[in-house]
Amino acid sequence: MISINGLTASVEGTRLLNNVSMDLQSGRILGIIGPSGNGKTTLLMCMCGLLPFESGSISIGDRTLPAADSGTRNEALWAFRKKSGIVFQHLHLFPHLSVLGNIIEAPVHVSRKPKAEAEKEALGLLEKLGIEQYRNKYPEELSGGEQQRVAILRALAMNPEALMLDEPTSALDPIRSGDVRKLLQEFAAAGHTVVIVSHSVRFLKGFADQLAFMGKSELIEMNATRELLENPKDERTREFLRFSELS
Amino acid sequence: MLLAFDTLAAVAAPQALRWGGDPSGGAPYVFSDPSNPQAYTGFDYDFAEALARQMGMKAKFVPTDWESIVASLKRKEFDVIIDGFEPTTDRAREVLFSKPYYLFRLQLTVRKSEQRINSLEDCKRLGIPVGTLVNCAASRLLEQGGYKSVGYQDPVGAYQDLEAGRVDAVIMDVAGEMFYARKNPKLRPAGKPFNTGAYVVGIRKGDKALLEKVNAAIDSLANNGTTEKIFRKWDLWNEEQLSLRTRQSVKYEVTSARFNWSEGLIKLSKAAGITVMLAFGAMLIAVLLGVPLALGQSNGNRFVRTVCTIYIEFFRGTPVLVQLLFLYFGLPVVGVTLPGWLTAIVGLGLNYAAYESQVYRTAFQAVPSRQWHVAYSLGMKPAQAFRRIIFPQAFRIALPPMTNDFVALFKDTSTAFAIAVWELATAYRELANATQSYLGIGLVVCCYYLAMSLPLAHLAHRLEQRLQRKSTGIISSGSDT
Repeated sequence: MISINGLTASVEGTRLLNNVSMDLQSGRILGIIGPSGNGKTTLLMCMCGLLPFESGSISIGDRTLPAADSGTRNEALWAFRKKSGIVFQHLHLFPHLSVLGNIIEAPVHVSRKPKAEAEKEALGLLEKLGIEQYRNKYPEELSGGEQQRVAILRALAMNPEALMLDEPTSALDPIRSGDVRKLLQEFAAAGHTVVIVSHSVRFLKGFADQLAFMGKSELIEMNATRELLENPKDERTREFLRFSELS
Repeated sequence: MLLAFDTLAAVAAPQALRWGGDPSGGAPYVFSDPSNPQAYTGFDYDFAEALARQMGMKAKFVPTDWESIVASLKRKEFDVIIDGFEPTTDRAREVLFSKPYYLFRLQLTVRKSEQRINSLEDCKRLGIPVGTLVNCAASRLLEQGGYKSVGYQDPVGAYQDLEAGRVDAVIMDVAGEMFYARKNPKLRPAGKPFNTGAYVVGIRKGDKALLEKVNAAIDSLANNGTTEKIFRKWDLWNEEQLSLRTRQSVKYEVTSARFNWSEGLIKLSKAAGITVMLAFGAMLIAVLLGVPLALGQSNGNRFVRTVCTIYIEFFRGTPVLVQLLFLYFGLPVVGVTLPGWLTAIVGLGLNYAAYESQVYRTAFQAVPSRQWHVAYSLGMKPAQAFRRIIFPQAFRIALPPMTNDFVALFKDTSTAFAIAVWELATAYRELANATQSYLGIGLVVCCYYLAMSLPLAHLAHRLEQRLQRKSTGIISSGSDT
């Protein structure tokens, strides 16, 4: 479960999020749409505890992250970060570690899992995506799609309560493929939450349970996917959807 | 017309007698006049003036370096050597010697508080190294007698080290001892002067005519009292010198250096070992200090940044040789006396830390900031993210320039010769000067350096390749939107 209350954030003096609030039940997949530069990635960064915000709060499960000047942010931060995982648009795998090394790095060194156990779990995940033969390869030896799978598994290996994906469809298509999709759906069905930022409404249409539309620094509206697509309430949402259908 | 003019000019202006001597730390032989730093003075300076006048020539002083003075004479940088030059059998192969113009003895000096040492034999018995000038009669005497020795470039350094306790005894020509040590209340002569030697004028082989003229002039100066006047002026006259007035040959001891290759190679190997120790010790300090400097300069608060920047600019902006001299001679003033080898390790380490910090800073900056974000998002804390994620990537970027620096450091250990550390370059200078075999020993020394730096470069290359195979680095340099 994710709960955001009155989130306001700025970067270098520019306000990128203005009083954003939303609630998302566990087991759901949320898609965030909207024109680029409207704060979608900023929202994800805040939700992962990577970007301090000025006011409001974010809760994932039983952990709450307060605003930057609250004085308690640092104590809450480390526990909070374990609750969320993120897959960046450009993936940023660890180039000095093998595929297996990338996936077990945090379980072994952050969660202090025995290495053998972490490896077994990682191999299980790799098998689900059919790339267990790449376990000893290094990131640069993989195609973009294979790298994306590894990045997703690296985040999932920490078993976060919420998984964020930033523009997973840009120039990569494996996310559309059945096994990755299935993996994410299973993950959500197990009581987790998935948040996907994407410009592709078509992709989210058949995948996300709910959609949120971000206007300029604001959350304009949020609804069940079908409802938002067929019956948008706000003029700005209608305009965006009209435009995105053409593209 | 032109020809006539040339001949005329040659007759009118007396021919120049170009003589070579080392004025740095050269008192009382030849040195910069303290009351007039533009001019030189010293008993050899006075003697050279008188000698040239006696020969109907005009003395022209050519400042040179003591250690390589014979090589400079052979390269015709000057015509004669007049610089407390002693006849030795190894030099006899290279140069002609004039008659002696002065007889000298050696004097051993110790600290006033010294109880154990009263003769050279005491030093041998106790295994105490004796400081002396490189490439002089005393150094050869020590070598011949199998004494342990420490070579110095000039007497000032030797007596300073004696005062500071870095050496326990110094042996020097009485002339130098009188000028530098006799009046020092912290030092005392140990035993009487001993081992008579002679100062002669050195002349290029084949310059027989010049030799005759110089010998005739030396005789004249001795007999007409000019020599006595000069040495009385410098308080170095004694009755022993009277024997030089007679035309008979004078008895003096000829000291010489023996050099055989097996002994030489052992010495060079020892020196190479010290070079390796200096290089590894200094690199360890440079790496251990370079990382915090790099982090401080890029991530510290304003105060830390300023301190790191001042440090880095200071050590990069001043010569390492000056830094070593400063540490070696400057620190004892405030009560910190480090032995030469430790001074060299610390000095080179501090210096190279400044360069290493820049290598690391660039390397850290080359790792995309998103790598930090990913590490944090997986729950790592800053120290862990640095150690496990950032450092290994930065290390791979830093490895090639680090290797270059290390090889450069190997070569820079040669600056330690300035502070009397017997490393490979010092060994080369001393052995080559003593034997005049610059080429042969030089090639051997180069082989030693290559034997040390090539495996290093090879190892670094292998390591680099191994890391390269793992990955060429940044997966995606694009920034997320």
